[in-house]
Amino acid sequence: MMKNALKKIYLTLIFILLYAPIATLIVLSFNSSKTRSKWGGFTTKWYTALLQNRDIMNALYTTLVIAFLSALIATLIGTAAAIGIQALNRRMRTIMMSITNIPMLNADIVTGISLMLLFIAFRFSLGFTTILLAHISFNIPYVILSVMPKLKQTDRQTYEAALDLGASPVYAFFKVVFPDILPGVFSGFLLAFTMSLDDFVITHFTKGPGVDTLSTKIYGEVRKGIKPEMYALSTILFLTVLILLLLINTAPDSSTNRTDRKHTLSRPRAISRFLFRKVVPSCMIVTIFLGGIFYGSRESNSSKNQVIVYNWGEYLDPEAIEMFEEETGIHVVYEEYETNEIMYPKVQSGAIAYDVVCPSDYMVQRMIENDLLAEINFDNMPNIKYIDDVYMERCRDFDPENRYCVPHLWGTVGILYNKTMVEEPVDSWGILWDEKYQDSILMQDSVRDAFGITLKYLGYSLNSTDLDELEAAKKLLIEQKPLVQAYVVDQVRDKMIGNEAALGVIYSGEAIYCQIENPDLEYVIPKEGSNFWMDSWVIPKNAKHKENAEAFINFLCKPEIAKMNFDYITYSIPNSAGQALIEEPEYRNSPIAFPDLNSLTNCETLQYIGEENDAVYNRLWREVKSK
Amino acid sequence: MLKSKKWLSGPYLFWSIAFTVIPLLMIVYYGMTDKEGHFTWYNLAQITTQENLKALGLALLLSCFSTLLCLLLAYPLAMILSEKNVNQTSFIVLIFILPMWMNFLLRTLAWQNLLEKNGIINTILSFFHLPAMTLINTPGAIILGMVYNFLPFMVLPIYNVLVKIDKDVIFAARDLGANNLQTFARITLPLSVPGIVSGITMVFVPSLTTFVISDLLGGSKILLIGNVIEQEFKQGSNWNVGSGLSLVLMIFIIASMALIAEYDKEGEGTAF
Repeated sequence: MMKNALKKIYLTLIFILLYAPIATLIVLSFNSSKTRSKWGGFTTKWYTALLQNRDIMNALYTTLVIAFLSALIATLIGTAAAIGIQALNRRMRTIMMSITNIPMLNADIVTGISLMLLFIAFRFSLGFTTILLAHISFNIPYVILSVMPKLKQTDRQTYEAALDLGASPVYAFFKVVFPDILPGVFSGFLLAFTMSLDDFVITHFTKGPGVDTLSTKIYGEVRKGIKPEMYALSTILFLTVLILLLLINTAPDSSTNRTDRKHTLSRPRAISRFLFRKVVPSCMIVTIFLGGIFYGSRESNSSKNQVIVYNWGEYLDPEAIEMFEEETGIHVVYEEYETNEIMYPKVQSGAIAYDVVCPSDYMVQRMIENDLLAEINFDNMPNIKYIDDVYMERCRDFDPENRYCVPHLWGTVGILYNKTMVEEPVDSWGILWDEKYQDSILMQDSVRDAFGITLKYLGYSLNSTDLDELEAAKKLLIEQKPLVQAYVVDQVRDKMIGNEAALGVIYSGEAIYCQIENPDLEYVIPKEGSNFWMDSWVIPKNAKHKENAEAFINFLCKPEIAKMNFDYITYSIPNSAGQALIEEPEYRNSPIAFPDLNSLTNCETLQYIGEENDAVYNRLWREVKSK
Repeated sequence: MLKSKKWLSGPYLFWSIAFTVIPLLMIVYYGMTDKEGHFTWYNLAQITTQENLKALGLALLLSCFSTLLCLLLAYPLAMILSEKNVNQTSFIVLIFILPMWMNFLLRTLAWQNLLEKNGIINTILSFFHLPAMTLINTPGAIILGMVYNFLPFMVLPIYNVLVKIDKDVIFAARDLGANNLQTFARITLPLSVPGIVSGITMVFVPSLTTFVISDLLGGSKILLIGNVIEQEFKQGSNWNVGSGLSLVLMIFIIASMALIAEYDKEGEGTAF
């Protein structure tokens, strides 16, 4: 009795561990506030929004098809391989098992980039097929590792007995060995399916434009905060599978005492068994096949008149894209990235001929230096007149003759602080070194941003490459480390809204959103100066639809579109005609979004400092982080 | 007798050469050359810098610890589950996989919600007038994240092996006078070694190379070797050093796998 109770308690504890975050996510899907750190009341609006969101539904479908196909193929190859490997001699077996472990050993990003290079070298065009191939490759090891232990346990004598009794090897295998290893095969399939569902990095590098999985969608959203629709979708997926499981499990199983049960099987149960064992699986297969045909035909029908856009996640109002398509008849293929550094190798390798990309200042400079960009023909862009001269002037920091880029959004880096926790006036970066705020400071987890503000605090340039200045900044950062609660990138927003910290380094565009969610927050650009950043549209040299690209950029320069986009993401627009259209005066004249440009004289733009200096920054940052 | 089945590994051999070995050779190429394509040991030697050694050491420590913890948690769990009705097998397996069908990033962010200063756990504690705990941004949180994410990879292989153990062997041991502990130590444990080995592989390796967990739950204050590699690739765009470091890591892991394989050999010996 005692023992049973202990077992029950143990199981319960493990279940709490496994399902606590799931329960949290389910609760969040009913949260009417958009941020995960604040409860805004109960709502089901995300569920309705989800069903109307075609992008998410498409991504869901792609994800499921890829997961199913890759798991299926990996299970076939992997199970066969496990049997084959078992038959090899010891030395060969060790070699094969080492190869098997490689995809698991490698950091995802290494696997992802190396597969991308492979596909480019063999002239595969990146798209659905390449994702599938990549997923099968990293799925096979999981199948092999699940089947192997089972195989080692199978009784050799039984198999030999079957052969002695006249069974052919194939027959003996399916009658004797296979039933034994079936649970291993099954869990291998499930692991493979799951790994495929979850993968982001490898998918990102092997996918083409216009193909999205749920993971790539979710990571694209990280920058502006995960949309609650994603929580809703996860909840629906989870509950569907759970209910299916419960139903299957309550249906009587036929594997034991089949003859006894046949008579007692009640009619409803027989029906439900029939449903879940025959109807549901066949329905799934039919849907996947029909969907595949539909999907395939839609892919090939996509018009030649298109423009391939590669943009930051959540950086453009989707409605603006639709309006552009309607007005010009040009089809927009849209793909998103998470950071400049993840975008760069994809453009540089020429894996995909993007038509429009939106890199930040220093990255534009780097792309110009590496001859990746085409000059923009401004004759095709009458709307450039709406972009204020001040911003074109600013662009010269990284595009000296204004030939390659058109500003899209800009902003500053500053301190977001909580008025209830910080009483003194905040006007200097120095407050980030104040011991009073130990464990209440959020620093940016990126080399250039962290060093940039420290260099500014010391009175040096943001783009300093002077070793002494950098060493001094490093020393200061190491001093600061015990005071820092966490080094974060996108979570400053959620943590500040949830009152987790008193001070955080943040981008101005996020600050407005944070203030809406938590009025105690205030944003300030320290007096020592800061980073003035600008993300601009550029056209890569290998673009296939350059005129469409220019039409696209031209369209986005329209004041009403710029205004729409401001409403959508609250980042500053370089378009004063658009700014004038903003309805709410508090945003139109917001000192955060539209500070007096004359007051920003000591703000600098990040510049590309070359690979060697980048390496120096990285080394120093690593020294800070490892202290 | 199974010799005739060798050819079954053929498709996999082809596949792994195309999509594992060739990409691996590319990494070797990057890892052994500099930006101009000249041969160099520099990238591999980067592992010997003080910070990188520390990052490697920390990563080893945390992943060993979480692998051990996973094993300790998973083994009793797998034993309890293996005693259940055979017909529920698929159900049980799915229950452990199911949480993983919610996106990894979403789940890890949900842990933030639970562990934060004003998070759910601390709210519950303060409701009972207990002092708040610092949970997030600690090594403990990283280990929790690793155990949570990789536990199913330990439970499944062990469970799969345990359900296959012939009950008659255990009864025989009992009949011969062995007590519970002896039966476990002499029969159950040795017979489950293959499962333990694959479990350790599937938990240890990903936890050694992870960077997302230490970023999100460790507040990025603890630098692990996975973070270093990720930083070289992403922020530094320095593929050469990144590849060099991952090569070192790979050699390192293969060596430890070979060690484990030694134990595995004995496991087989008893299984057949």
